[in-house]
Amino acid sequence: MDLASLVKTLHPLEVKVLLRYGQEEPLDAARLQAELGYKEGHANQAFSWLCAKGLAAEAGRSARTVYELTPLGREMAERGTPEERLLRFLGENGASRLPEIAAALGLEQKDVGSAFGLLSKEGLAAMDAEKRASRIAGAASARLAAVRRLLERAAAAPGGLLDESELDAAEKAAMGGMARKRGAGDAAFRASERETVIYRLSAEAAAAAAELKEAGVTGEELGAVTPEILEKGLWKSASFRPYNIRSPAARLIPGRRNAYVEFLDSVKDKLVSLGFEEFDGSLVETEFWNSDALFMPQFHSARDIHDVYYLDEPKKATAIEEPYLSSVAATHENGGPTGSRGWRYSFDREFTKRLILRSQGTVLSARQLPKAKVPGKYFGIARCFRYDKVDATHLSDFYQTEGIVLGEDVNLRTLLGFLEMFAVEVAGAKEVKYVPGYFPFTEPSVEVHIKHPVLGWFELGGSGIFRPEVTEPLGVKAPVLAWGIGIDRMALMALGLNDLRELFSPDIEGVRLRRAKSP
Amino acid sequence: MPKIEVNERLFFSLLGRRCGASELEELLMGAKAELDEWDATGGAESDESRTIKIELNDTNRPDLWSTAGLARQLRVRETSRRPEYPFFSREGDERKAKRRVLVEASVQGVRPFLAGFVVSGKPISDAALKDMIQTQEKLAWNFGRKRRTISMGLYRTGIIKWPVSYKAVPPDSVRFVPLQWDRPMTLTEILREHPKGKEYAFINEGHALHPLLVDSTDAVLSYPPIINSADLGAVQVGDTELFIELTGTDMPSVTLASSIVACDFADMGYTVESVRVEYAYDTPFGRAVTFPYYFQTPVSVEAAKVSRLLGKPLDVAAVRAAVERMGCSTEAHGQYVTVAPPEYRNDFLHPVDVIEDVMMGKDMSFFEPERPHDFTIGRLSPIETFSRRAKSVMVGLGYQEMIYNYLGSGKDYVERMGIDGSAVVRITNPMSESFEYVRNSPLPGLLGSEAVSSRALYPHRIFEVGKVAFRNSKENYGVSTRQMLGFLSVHANAQAMADFNEAASQTATLMYYLGRDFELEEADDPRFIPGRQARITYKGAAVGVYGELHPRVLEAWGIAVPCAAAELDLDSLIE
Repeated sequence: MDLASLVKTLHPLEVKVLLRYGQEEPLDAARLQAELGYKEGHANQAFSWLCAKGLAAEAGRSARTVYELTPLGREMAERGTPEERLLRFLGENGASRLPEIAAALGLEQKDVGSAFGLLSKEGLAAMDAEKRASRIAGAASARLAAVRRLLERAAAAPGGLLDESELDAAEKAAMGGMARKRGAGDAAFRASERETVIYRLSAEAAAAAAELKEAGVTGEELGAVTPEILEKGLWKSASFRPYNIRSPAARLIPGRRNAYVEFLDSVKDKLVSLGFEEFDGSLVETEFWNSDALFMPQFHSARDIHDVYYLDEPKKATAIEEPYLSSVAATHENGGPTGSRGWRYSFDREFTKRLILRSQGTVLSARQLPKAKVPGKYFGIARCFRYDKVDATHLSDFYQTEGIVLGEDVNLRTLLGFLEMFAVEVAGAKEVKYVPGYFPFTEPSVEVHIKHPVLGWFELGGSGIFRPEVTEPLGVKAPVLAWGIGIDRMALMALGLNDLRELFSPDIEGVRLRRAKSP
Repeated sequence: MPKIEVNERLFFSLLGRRCGASELEELLMGAKAELDEWDATGGAESDESRTIKIELNDTNRPDLWSTAGLARQLRVRETSRRPEYPFFSREGDERKAKRRVLVEASVQGVRPFLAGFVVSGKPISDAALKDMIQTQEKLAWNFGRKRRTISMGLYRTGIIKWPVSYKAVPPDSVRFVPLQWDRPMTLTEILREHPKGKEYAFINEGHALHPLLVDSTDAVLSYPPIINSADLGAVQVGDTELFIELTGTDMPSVTLASSIVACDFADMGYTVESVRVEYAYDTPFGRAVTFPYYFQTPVSVEAAKVSRLLGKPLDVAAVRAAVERMGCSTEAHGQYVTVAPPEYRNDFLHPVDVIEDVMMGKDMSFFEPERPHDFTIGRLSPIETFSRRAKSVMVGLGYQEMIYNYLGSGKDYVERMGIDGSAVVRITNPMSESFEYVRNSPLPGLLGSEAVSSRALYPHRIFEVGKVAFRNSKENYGVSTRQMLGFLSVHANAQAMADFNEAASQTATLMYYLGRDFELEEADDPRFIPGRQARITYKGAAVGVYGELHPRVLEAWGIAVPCAAAELDLDSLIE
């Protein structure tokens, strides 16, 4: 990083250090605390950041003793040491016996005894013949004065801390009687050893400081905008510290739609925009609606395409809706009224009630026919079930996108028109090709192949005009275009996946991070 | 859909010319076929040993499932010249037959129909024999429903003592040596021990009498539809005269299959000789039928109807030309075209099938796409619209939408949820235990996510809207399908674990924005902790439940953090 960029990443805590000190000066946390008003943590942060940027380096370490005021010490600072309190009591009440003093001050006799011992040794108090203690007028103690100074200074210092280096000789002597390293609970100070790290700024620091001065950065710029800054208008006379706009943004976990479902929704929205009305239906279906109504003979190998799952219980529907059962049965047997010769076999009215998991979305189209309007356009994205071994390209349940178009004047060319619309509007294809196809329920049948910018040529879907044997038994006289498009390959590509199983992934983290490619 | 392998040299010689892969792909469209695999530059190998793999999409055109049949379709479409098959008998126009098969009454209730003919004229080649075995398989497997309705046998004609008899016998009354075996077996033994017998036993089992084909000395030709005799029924490359018979349960299908095979042999340069089959009972084509036999009936279609369905004006001549390119012969009757299917086809059930042949006879480029002009209003279903509203509230509450499969295991859907499972829909024929049940709730999916996502950054707030199904005797199908919303909340913060109150607040928020006033009842759902679950009711009906999931359920899923969850039937909120 060049210097100008480096300077922009500096925090005010670093800036102030760089502007204030030269390369030769030994720096430590205490010094920054004293001279820049930093808190100890801030001082250490400043050193750590500066070192990381090569603007400072550790120059040495030194051990020192610090004294920390204990809770007892803090109480002494406020209410006096036992000696001070004893002297004060004697001054106020005249000569008294030690047990009376202990009772009056709420101290233990041994503490009053030892306090008196010390005072008496220094000639500040004496005991008369009647065992009454009294104060010796005019006497003073340098030790007691030092103790008082230490207690008050420590009580005012941040964290109740005094550094050994701050004590004069008298204070050091006094501290010796008040501080302990261990078991400090009944002492006024806890003594401990601390290591001080000494830093020095590096050669680049001076250049950085010059750059800062050049840019007019003082380290006093405003940080976070606070209500106070706004209320008091402080921003009017200050500038804002620029933030490092490239520092990594914190990760959030938003509420979010599923990328695959959104893709399915976008297809639905597109079809709605093309005038299609959505239909929906039961996951469980009968052989009747799943295949018979689509004129797939009960014996024919075309049904091998749709290897289906059978329900264990119940096994059969109570009834199949009339008049559709009879009209479909007649159509299978001899064509009924449709002009077909039919499949010429005996239609099994029990088999047709068999319950299965719907194996093709076309079921929904068949079910829609009796209630469909002419003209009418309908679609559904239906979960279907297939007897397939699950792998990267096969699922046991998956979505099929299917639909129908009813109209007095629809024909093969309108069908191609719709296929072209799907290819361009839904799949974003640039080139479209139509190929004769085969589906048991449509005649003629057409497959649409598209050239995808990434996937190359592939089959987008199958379609056709429903056979009269499908539509007429369900009460529809008008021609009906039927189509199905495969959108899962496009979904995989849009989501950057190559395994169909991933579409239904249970992995929360994977689903959170997944997103559709933007167009 | 059938896939076939064709011998490259045989195929191109029958097509009449060679072509490259991309041209072949184009040509195959005229037969609704796709080029699957062809290494046309297969190293040092000659085209005689190379094969082309082709997928046939039309399950109603068994005539295309052989080298000769596929090549014929492409050749006729290219040249508009229909091949002649003068050896076919027709009603009132019978060919002379040197050989007879007698069908006895005993076989009528078992496997009543037989068709047969003889091919001769040149020794059978390796390629032709391989192709014929493939045709036999495809016809019997795909068109004949695993030999149930059609099966086929080939025999060496020269060693058969004519006439042949087709009859039904008690399965223990006859012994012969079947193909791929070295000692005589009874029919019962064949079904029990022979690989083919075991494979196809289901067809003959349960019948007191089993079909059998024998010659006039009672030497066995075959045990239809199971296996040929190792003696009369062992055909080899170099044989010069073959008897081909097909048996089955449907006369038109058996007849058509025999016609297809006869035309294939004729195309490969063999002479087809008729066989007269005399039945002891009536068949749709009479008591005595001489095969190959043309039985198809013509179909008429009005040119205007063709034009209307295809969206292009086509006159009678144009319709005739297109259909003839597909191998049919035609006659004009005023504005109608009468179409006689070729000998090897019987897929014209309805005039629309002719219309499709018109489309196929034209090139697809003849039909320009046309924008539809009917105006219709598009709209989402009410449940989809409502579901989207619910989803947007859940997203606002900080939930990630998930989507799961609907099939799963009994372990996940029943055992781990601690429910009795009587309402869960089970599949009789699951592919595996992992996909044996239909889910009755979104909760197993959500718990499955939690179980595999303990390393994903917390909190986990996930939801799904999707279908569930469960047994319900009030429905015609005995099963209800409902659109449900489920959510699951899991935190890793010891100060704020997912709990009843959270599920309550979020359900209340969701219902507020869905605009549904709801009430609560005490519930006893085994999936939740007793006393920390609420049943949601709407207009007096139970529509969902929420609360703290029972530690028993969490333990079963291997989840070690508390989970709050809810499920809500969205369908019942809009009914």
